[in-house]
Amino acid sequence: MADNDILARIALCTERGKINNAAPYPPDLKGEDGVDELTEKALNDGVDPNDILTQGFMEGMGRVGKKFSKNEVFVPDLLMAAKAMTAGMIRLKPHFESGAAKHKGTFVIGTVRGDLHDIGKNLVRMMVEGGGWQVIDLGVDTSPEKFVEAVKEHPGCAVGLSALLTTTMVNMEETVKAIKAVSPSTPVIVGGAPLTQEFCDKIGADAYSADPQGALDYLADYTAA
Amino acid sequence: MESMTSIERVQNLLRRQPVDRIAVHEHFWGDTIKDWCAQGHIQPGESLEDHFGYDFQCAGPLNMVADLDFEPEVVEENEETMLVRDGNGALLRRYKTHDTTPEHVDFRVQDRAGWEEYIKPYLKPEHRRIDFEAYRQARDAARAKDRFFTCYAVNVFELMHPVCGHEYMLMGMAMDPDWIKDMVATYAQLTIDLMEILFSEVGYPDGIWFFDDMGFKQRPFFSLDMYREIIQPGHKLTIDYAHSKNIQVIMHSCGYIAPLVPGLLEAGIDCLQVIEVKAGMDLIELYKQYGDRLSFFGGMDVRTLYTNDKAIIDRELERKIPIVKGNYGYLLHSDHSIPNQVAYENYRYFVERGLELGSYRNGD
Repeated sequence: MADNDILARIALCTERGKINNAAPYPPDLKGEDGVDELTEKALNDGVDPNDILTQGFMEGMGRVGKKFSKNEVFVPDLLMAAKAMTAGMIRLKPHFESGAAKHKGTFVIGTVRGDLHDIGKNLVRMMVEGGGWQVIDLGVDTSPEKFVEAVKEHPGCAVGLSALLTTTMVNMEETVKAIKAVSPSTPVIVGGAPLTQEFCDKIGADAYSADPQGALDYLADYTAA
Repeated sequence: MESMTSIERVQNLLRRQPVDRIAVHEHFWGDTIKDWCAQGHIQPGESLEDHFGYDFQCAGPLNMVADLDFEPEVVEENEETMLVRDGNGALLRRYKTHDTTPEHVDFRVQDRAGWEEYIKPYLKPEHRRIDFEAYRQARDAARAKDRFFTCYAVNVFELMHPVCGHEYMLMGMAMDPDWIKDMVATYAQLTIDLMEILFSEVGYPDGIWFFDDMGFKQRPFFSLDMYREIIQPGHKLTIDYAHSKNIQVIMHSCGYIAPLVPGLLEAGIDCLQVIEVKAGMDLIELYKQYGDRLSFFGGMDVRTLYTNDKAIIDRELERKIPIVKGNYGYLLHSDHSIPNQVAYENYRYFVERGLELGSYRNGD
């Protein structure tokens, strides 16, 4: 298989959530190699790990993310795509560690203090990882101090804050202020069910995203600027 | 029109037939009622139905936890939270200090094998799953005040995720749909069996209020096709059971579920609740599309209430109620529940002004 063919196949299997040969999903690809085998083969064939990341995983996740934004696919599809991508990422991990493959940047994410809901955060994490970023997931119920610590530890990172409840979104303001106090240039993206652009502006965050693809698009614009 | 009892009013509203006014009910975060009690607006233990003049009285008598004999086990505890393993084999972190839904940390059930080993064998229609007394008391209280009495019950989607979590469940819908269909069928049948035991022994409710959160911000968790294939059979089974007993059905779902409404109508719901505006639900648009076939309960943006600005509350009510009451199929409720940022007097105003706008007495 030529480099372009195998990369196109990795992108397709990522998009469709085909993890490996044994996986029964999706039914129309049953019995065929998935992201796991294809990534191994590509690496053995000497394909550049950066190409596997950008033209394989990122391409596939980008397609599924755009379809998700348009309500053409749903959470099960996104989860399967992320699971397939993870299988390939495990193969790429040594190449990241050796420096042969490079992330686009570092993205720190967590739900704010008081909020234990992590579905939205996890979807954003998957999409941003699929966009080629290293993601530091601080988990749920994250204090402003913990975000600040992570920002200091990862200079140049971007930060994502998530809240599901009207009762916890108010804690975002405190977190944004704490981050901006130590690192005014760190971009902070906010999201979650009760949030609006108006609320984002009010608390001094840099961007509001209504869905995971929006967060990824913002990060792409930010790195391009 | 003559004044109606709450039962007459709600029955008619769920059939979209003439009434004297729209009906009203509400749900609150626990901290809200605590605060309003502390402020002296409500007496501890006072009936909210009496206090606010609600048209509903409700009871949630069914215990659907798999292993009833399992003593919840505290795995970790600090000043603010507790990590507890429950009778569904789920590891959940809860706040000790305030009221919120828990963090899902881990699940024993991650696939069909786990379901068949740890959960399914326990799901039997045992009497001890039913709080007969709570149901009887609520039903008697409803009857004494002619209120519409509903039995709360969680439906299949909301029963599955406490066992295996959203992520395993949603991946299961793609990878092993027969596993999820088996869970749906098992929980639907258990719900019916328990209701039949309860209702035949204590008496039937006027309505069943099913809870099944199927959406989040701007999208449902799954497609309409997936709903029809996997979830709808469970909804249909439970709703058909209710209708066979002449019981009307209200279906609650948080989140954006507009694309699923055609499927919910096929399943037979009489009324859709809660119509969460901040997730993207649009009450007026839904009314325009389905108002001839479906009643609506909720859809008033709670964010307007916690502005605590009466002019903003007025705008929300005045913009929506005169339109959605058109087919006699609207019941007043916020679009989720009332948080403690809402001042008591402003909530009170919301109810009074909403009912004023929802009156049909002046030929409105």
